[in-house]
Amino acid sequence: MANWSMVIDLDKCVGCQACSLACKAENNVPHGSPYEHKRHHDIFWHKVIAAWEGEYPAVNTQIIPMPCMHCEHPPCVNVCPSKATYKRGDGIVMQNFRRCLGCRYCIVACPYGARSFNFKDQADEEYQRPDLPKDLGLSNEGHIGPWPYPHRTRGVVEKCTYCFHRIDQALEDGEEVGSKLDGHHGVLPACVEACPTEARYFGDLDDPESAVSKLLASRSFIKLREEMLTSPKTIYLPR
Amino acid sequence: MSQAATDKPNSPEPKRSNGFKISRRAFLGVSGGVAAAVLAVVLALKRPKLAEPVETQTDKVVAADDLISTSCLNCPTRCAIQVRRVQTTAGKTKVVKISGNPASTYSEGKCCSRSHVGLQVLYNPDRFQTPLKRVGGTKGRDVNYDADFAPVSWETALQDVASKLTSPEKLLILQGLNTTSNEDLIRQFALAYGTRNLFDEEGLETAADREGKMLADGRSNSGYEMVSEDGISTKYILAFSSGIVESERPLARNLRLWGKIRRELPNKTRVVSFDPRYSVTASRADEWLPINPGSEGALAMAIAHVILSEGLYDTDFVNDHTDGFNDFSTLARTRRFSPESVSGISGVPADTIRRVAREFAQSRPAVAWSGEAATSWPYGTLASHAIYCLNALVGSIDVPGGIVYQQYPDYQPMPTSGLPITETGITFREMADLLRDGAVNAAIGFSSNLIMSVPESREDGRWDELLKNDNFFYVHVGPAKSEMAAYADYILPACTYLEDWGYESAIPGSGYAEVRIKQPVIAPRDESRPTARTVFDLATILGRRDFFLPPSSGISGDSKEFPEEFAAYRTSLFIAWSDFRWSESKKDNTGVWKGSSYSYRNYAFGTPSGKFEFHSSHLEYLLNVGLPGEGTDYPLELAIYRPVLEIRSGSQNFPWAQEMYLVMHGRGWRNLVEINRETAHEHGVGEGDEVVIESPYGEIEGEARVVEGMQPGVVAIATGQGHFASGEFADGMGCNPMDVIGTEYDEESGQPSFFSTRVRIRKA
Repeated sequence: MANWSMVIDLDKCVGCQACSLACKAENNVPHGSPYEHKRHHDIFWHKVIAAWEGEYPAVNTQIIPMPCMHCEHPPCVNVCPSKATYKRGDGIVMQNFRRCLGCRYCIVACPYGARSFNFKDQADEEYQRPDLPKDLGLSNEGHIGPWPYPHRTRGVVEKCTYCFHRIDQALEDGEEVGSKLDGHHGVLPACVEACPTEARYFGDLDDPESAVSKLLASRSFIKLREEMLTSPKTIYLPR
Repeated sequence: MSQAATDKPNSPEPKRSNGFKISRRAFLGVSGGVAAAVLAVVLALKRPKLAEPVETQTDKVVAADDLISTSCLNCPTRCAIQVRRVQTTAGKTKVVKISGNPASTYSEGKCCSRSHVGLQVLYNPDRFQTPLKRVGGTKGRDVNYDADFAPVSWETALQDVASKLTSPEKLLILQGLNTTSNEDLIRQFALAYGTRNLFDEEGLETAADREGKMLADGRSNSGYEMVSEDGISTKYILAFSSGIVESERPLARNLRLWGKIRRELPNKTRVVSFDPRYSVTASRADEWLPINPGSEGALAMAIAHVILSEGLYDTDFVNDHTDGFNDFSTLARTRRFSPESVSGISGVPADTIRRVAREFAQSRPAVAWSGEAATSWPYGTLASHAIYCLNALVGSIDVPGGIVYQQYPDYQPMPTSGLPITETGITFREMADLLRDGAVNAAIGFSSNLIMSVPESREDGRWDELLKNDNFFYVHVGPAKSEMAAYADYILPACTYLEDWGYESAIPGSGYAEVRIKQPVIAPRDESRPTARTVFDLATILGRRDFFLPPSSGISGDSKEFPEEFAAYRTSLFIAWSDFRWSESKKDNTGVWKGSSYSYRNYAFGTPSGKFEFHSSHLEYLLNVGLPGEGTDYPLELAIYRPVLEIRSGSQNFPWAQEMYLVMHGRGWRNLVEINRETAHEHGVGEGDEVVIESPYGEIEGEARVVEGMQPGVVAIATGQGHFASGEFADGMGCNPMDVIGTEYDEESGQPSFFSTRVRIRKA
């Protein structure tokens, strides 16, 4: 089984936020409002942050796209009392809306702020997304996912899924998944596909021939908050 | 349970151990079953929307899932996009995703963040449903669309509008962001009706820049190539206050090639950014050199001074293909343009200017890239010219990775014989004079965004008063609520670009021509109509119909079919319509046509001498830079900038764009008054304070953001906010810096000078 990972080149990234918007569109993530923005109640599965350092004129800003890190040792999974959040075999950290109690322990535990809490009922028109994976109900054994999806329930935690539905569908259809360094990509998560500078790469960390493995072998890389021993699988290539 | 058991004919009788008595085990089994049944019922009730099995929820069953190629219109780059449209068996159609079109080599199948917002442009809750006629209320800020306007039929609206147009000279046509095909139609309408007064709002930002370049090469289609088709890249980019990766067009192409020049090609391109503000481009560049606003032109001359004094220029190009070099060289080498002298104006150390000039001249191909902030000044044309001349000095004209001249396809011509006039189009200054003098009494605005994007846009400012005038008749043609619609007497609902027919030409950048189709992904909402149809209907009523019906063109004259037939006719010289558009039988049409590869070193200049002309008259004006801190009343300089998520169509009523508006500050739903830390301290302003920005022309309020990345004495405010009639997601968020900017013009191009207004700041 693959070990999915995302590599983001901070030298190419220009903070245009096409990734954040593509994520919103792909996953039907609801938009916020000024009120929610002020209280950090708005839902983002992916966000671009800017970190300023230095003093005029020697300033430096790091623009960092932040999906879920899909840690090897995810602290959110450890603290979840209801097993609503769990790690799949291929390394993707998932959230099952049905099991989620809304206790938000995971939000506290996550060192990356990758999780959002759903404070509101969704507007009905946002549900009308027949293209997204169907709500399979409890009866469908063996199927795991953030169900009910893309319907949302007030009072549950949401997060990035590396667009698991795209990956699963591609594997089912026998298509290739992941970036290629020559530009002929397989199926990719929405944010990777949308990146206009091609700063993002997605692929199998266990496959030495994948673009992500090659990039990590050829350049220095950073993992955010490595000291917390989460060993994230969203990895950054510094400028 | 028992029900299920008795239904099955071959199921065994339920076992009973002894008569009426029930054993403990059986009791537990039954009660357990009951409990499970109750639990199942409870769960079934709790399950959202499971009353109906998924398979029978017809609005959830996908009947068709198509990718349709069309083009974006959220900024003037007009990228090729693919739109995913899902239809359910219940007949519902929903547009769910927008992505780049891989067939477009112009931006290598990529689109920028603005394109994704297209879904909310389409499903904007504040779109007009029917034509509207003003029935009361005052024009402008206090508009109440429900009370002030009444729905009318299209026929009535068009007849009324036509009857109000008294004479061609008295009509002004305002053109906001429209598709290339609609621009062509609007121009044809102006010619056919006989009005010279066509103002293209793109000229508000680019007129001076374009004029300065045209002075040199006589062409209006020059662009920065960055990476040629063969993979030859610019080696050195000198950005003069240019937002290459946030606002400079063609944005999506710039972004894609930025990725390329930074990491994908063998040699990394060095980027140096002169900018008063630590913009996204400056932060991504190798070096940020803060400068005083307005000193870009002088800096360019200082760099020319070094290149010429040290003999680093491209002698072959200069000798063979230029004119006026000696005068330019003599002027540039004078002492006033020496790095030492310009250092005092610009704030960049002389040594740094020398170093940058040498690097620039010695890493070819190198380009000097002028941005809006460098050219929107009273001497903007001269600044643009000075910066552009640097490209000629290092021979970057018409070479791979340098400046290229965009090619356009041959469109089928529109009828010209019998047109009352042959030229149309006026500068901003001419347009402002026309309105001020009352020389026009009616205007039609096609997606116009004038009131938000001109200086002195404030309430009771000159524009507000002019547009409010009861004797001034204004018709707004646009898809959704916007500030210009608030001043309208009639509103004609246009459909959005995702419902429209048309074609788009690639704007300067690639050299080779590219045309993208625009085709409806979904039927026009409510009663909205393609702008092409509205123009044609209006022309028909005004008796100008024949100018839109070229003989044997296949345009039937049926106004409903006109938009598609027009686009098909115009593009028929290079592509058959059936190979271009999407249809059930030809779903794999890419919707993109690419012209032949660009051939370099043609040096086909349109100047009188036929060569690249260095103009040196008046260049010394570039030294007239007002420094921050000078003068006691208004010590600060106000700079505006356009963030990447400013949707350029005139509305900002799009929550996705709003909630991540300023990426550098992690803030949304507003803009901020960005100010250097020391300057803020001097003026007693702290982070997060509500502050008032005051100029001789008015004042605005905003939230202070104290940053390190700003030249001292400069205040920067993003544009695109401060809407008052666009809808719930835009109104009242942030402020519009145009409200305090005064009206000054660039002498040559008539473009407003957006950056020369001085302000002061105080706590609210």
